[in-house]
Amino acid sequence: MLALFGTLEVFIKMGLVYSLLAMGYYVSYTLLDFPDLTVEGTFLGGAVTYGLLVTHGCNPWLALILAFLMGAAFGTLTGVLHVKLKIRPLLCGILVSTGLISLNLVATSAGVMGDFRGESASTITYGRSLTTLHNSFPADLIPAKIHGISLRDVLLFLLIALLFKLLLDLFLKTRRGMLLRATGNNAQFVTTLAKDAGNNKILGLAIGNGFAAVSGVLYSHVTGNVNQSMGIGTVVIGLASLIIGLSVFHKVRLLKPTTKVILGAIIYQACLTLVNRLGVPTAYNKLVMALLFVLALILGDRVLRRNTKSKKTQEKER
Amino acid sequence: MLELNHITKIYNAGQITETCLFNDFSLNFHDGDFVSVVGSNGSGKTSLLNIICGTIPIDGGAVLLDGKDISEMPEYARYRQIGRVYQNPAMGSCPDLTIAENMALADCKGKRYGLQRGVNGKRLAHYRELLSTLGLGLENKLDIPVGSLSGGQRQAMSLLMATMTPIRFLILDEHTAALDPKTAETIMELTDRIVKQKHLTAIMVTHNLRYAVEYGNRMLMLHKGEIVLEKAAEEKAATRVSDLLSLFNEISVECGN
Repeated sequence: MLALFGTLEVFIKMGLVYSLLAMGYYVSYTLLDFPDLTVEGTFLGGAVTYGLLVTHGCNPWLALILAFLMGAAFGTLTGVLHVKLKIRPLLCGILVSTGLISLNLVATSAGVMGDFRGESASTITYGRSLTTLHNSFPADLIPAKIHGISLRDVLLFLLIALLFKLLLDLFLKTRRGMLLRATGNNAQFVTTLAKDAGNNKILGLAIGNGFAAVSGVLYSHVTGNVNQSMGIGTVVIGLASLIIGLSVFHKVRLLKPTTKVILGAIIYQACLTLVNRLGVPTAYNKLVMALLFVLALILGDRVLRRNTKSKKTQEKER
Repeated sequence: MLELNHITKIYNAGQITETCLFNDFSLNFHDGDFVSVVGSNGSGKTSLLNIICGTIPIDGGAVLLDGKDISEMPEYARYRQIGRVYQNPAMGSCPDLTIAENMALADCKGKRYGLQRGVNGKRLAHYRELLSTLGLGLENKLDIPVGSLSGGQRQAMSLLMATMTPIRFLILDEHTAALDPKTAETIMELTDRIVKQKHLTAIMVTHNLRYAVEYGNRMLMLHKGEIVLEKAAEEKAATRVSDLLSLFNEISVECGN
């Protein structure tokens, strides 16, 4: 029984971590139709920013906000490359995330050991006595262990995920948020409203990567450190969570898309955990992730195609 | 007044398929004009509209607005004074946003798109009232996504939204071409009403010769980037569809069609 709760705790926690990434993708991929690969770099970049700040005594919540801004800055860069310099979306993401590989390493090395050649350190470790989100207000109100199971991280991540979800929902209802949704829907319409559609794309990418950075911060809390390989595979996890969430719950009108995406992220992690529990070694995880994503794409595509079909027949009937 | 001065427009410059559409093309639109533009495919009607709106760049000449050169002004900035309705009804609104959200976006044109509440509850009554003038019952469907409306309904909304805020020019790009005859008629009447009500300067490209004859105070026929026929005021009023049609046939014979 306890083991079951332990498993539940693990995948819900991981799901919540990646739900932020997936919500970011909801903005850049679903709303703006931009397959953004920058997240591979900003996911790690967020963790590096946060990790360095807290190890140097910064307030963890402030560090979280600064990590978000760092992600947003590099998302903006991707957007500028695409919108102003007319570089293809996929290439923009590859370029920025590749550049970030060096930047993250150098920042880590410089921040930990003061070496700007990037050769002295590649990980940031959170010591037990370090003040992080995990042991400061409000997470410190929750007992570290209840019946041997730690709920603190789950509740903390839930709080952060819901906070960001709420802010995103609110934003999408504002004038600027509506304009952003309109940009992905019909960019020419935005132009005829005398607004530059490109600027909205940049804004969307900034939001998407800000979310990815926060996701990275939470991930570093799970592992207890920041290491340079943690960004690998984030594109697949983010997109798979997003597509699973939107296709599994596509008929549920009561749920907001952001809620569906959070649930999707948890389902995806549950599947991964299940596969591991069935005896597949963790070394196979990335392969399993990719296969699950293919499955999600096929199922998601079917669901969406069925939807458009029914829409078309409806129109014909009219 | 909107002026096109000695416009040159070349497509595929430097390539084997290079075609010069406009060569030293000049045209003036006076305030309050309702100009209908006809012409065969490839005659430059849509290019003319795109040059006015800045959708495509020009290779020579200048576009002047009240004497000021706006040739370098980006497309989006020109729409501060221009409303545009496209041939494709899907172009004038956002399918995934609700009717209310679409109306609210159009209502904010010219204002700042900040973090204010997107759909202002106080404006809903106004939107309902505007929609009810269409007579399509859309005023009771504010919360449904625009994508589930029919082409005619969407086009009527596009027209309404394009003219919601104070603008000077209305650009109509074959805006009835994708509609059934009855709906097209309704949209045309609506267009005429709005143009008169708001004293807009309208430029309408159409393939429907009857509309070109019936509506507006000025008419142009384009052929290969040149104006082959221009009629205004009484002269236009005296023009019949058959006159246009015979000229059309002459041109077509020339082209070997």
